[in-house]
Amino acid sequence: MQVTLKILRYNPEKDARPHWESYRLEAEPMDRVLDLLHQVKWEKDGTLAFRKSCGHGICGSDAMMINGVNRLACKTLVKDLGTDVITVEPIRGLPVEKDLVVDMEPFFEAYRAVKPWLINDEPPPERERLQSPEERAVFDEGTKCILCAACTTSCPVFWVNGTYLGPSAIVQAHRFIFDSRDKGAHERFPALGSTGGVWRCRTAYNCTEACPREIPVTQLIEEVKRAIMFGQM
Amino acid sequence: MYRGREGQWAFYLHRISGIAIILFLALHVTEISSSMFGPKWFNALLKFEENPIFGLGLVAVAALVLYHALNGLRIILMDFTSWGVRLQRQLWYAVWVVYVVLGFPMLFIMLRHVFVGGE
Ligand code: SF4
Ligand code: FES
Repeated sequence: MQVTLKILRYNPEKDARPHWESYRLEAEPMDRVLDLLHQVKWEKDGTLAFRKSCGHGICGSDAMMINGVNRLACKTLVKDLGTDVITVEPIRGLPVEKDLVVDMEPFFEAYRAVKPWLINDEPPPERERLQSPEERAVFDEGTKCILCAACTTSCPVFWVNGTYLGPSAIVQAHRFIFDSRDKGAHERFPALGSTGGVWRCRTAYNCTEACPREIPVTQLIEEVKRAIMFGQM
Repeated sequence: MYRGREGQWAFYLHRISGIAIILFLALHVTEISSSMFGPKWFNALLKFEENPIFGLGLVAVAALVLYHALNGLRIILMDFTSWGVRLQRQLWYAVWVVYVVLGFPMLFIMLRHVFVGGE
C-alpha cells in the first residue's frame, strides 16, 4: 500500500521554525512507523534525525507524536493507524534539537529529583532483604517503566508549567515509595509535595492513554498523592 | 491539537468553566457593590440588566456551574478512591447523564424567567 508520511522537520541551522514535509512511501500493513522513518532516512533524505535503539519497545528512545498521540514508533504498526496519511511530530514540552530529536535533560532532571534508587540505611542483613510476593505486587506496575517520556510529554500541565515533574518521575517515585525495603519516602516527599510535584496533576489521563507499557500512570500518581496527604509512609 | 480522550476534555472543560465562574463572580460582586453609589446608580444598572442578553448569560453561567460541580464530584471520587480512577471514563459519561437530567428543568425554569418574567 501507498502511504503519505508527514514529518514535522526542523533544522536549527537553517530553519526559523519547524515545517511539515511529506513523503510518499510504499509500505506493508505490518510495517512499523519506525520502518517508514528508516525508509525515508536510508532512501530519500539522510538528514532526517530521530532516536531509536532497540527497535523492540524496551529502550524507550523513540517516543514521538504519531497521528496526534504519543507512541513508540517501533511499537506502532501502519495497519493499526487505520489511515494512509501518517503524521509524525516530536514529543511536546521539551526543546526540539533537530527533527524528532528533543532535549531530554529536563525530563531526566525530574527523574533524578525523586531519587529513583533504594534508600535504606539499616545495616544489610546477612542475605537479601526479604519481601513477600504481596509486597512486591504493590509496586509492580512502576517497574515496567522504560523512561520513554511518552506520558510526561502528553500531559497538558507539563506543556505549560515549567516546573511540573511530570507523570514519569512520579511513576518512578511510586516504584520506590511503595517498596517495603525502601525507607526513603521522607527524602522524596519534599520534591513530590512541592509546587512542581504531584498536586500539579489534574487527572487528564493523557499519560495513562499514552504509556506504551500500559502502566496505569494516573492511578499511581493518585496513590502517591494519597500517600503524601495521609502520611501513609 | 493533541488527540486526548475523555479525561483530557473533562480537564479542559473543568478549567474553562472554573475561570468563567470566577470572572462571573468578580462581575457580580462589582455589580452589587455599585449600590454604594446610591439607589440611583444601582437601579439604573438593574434596569440595564433586564435585557435578555444578561438573562442568557446567566443561563450560560448556570450551565458551566452545573458541569463544574458534577465533574468536581467525579474528581473527588478519583482522588479519594482507587476505583474512581479505573472508572473515570464511565464517571464522565455519568456526569453528562446527571447533567441532562438536572439541566433541562433548570434551563426551562431559567428561560421562562428570562422571557416570560416573574415567578
Ligand atoms: S510510565 Fe510509561 S509512558 Fe511514562 S516513561 Fe514510563 S514507560 Fe514511558
Ligand atoms: S526503539 Fe527502543 S523502544 Fe522503540
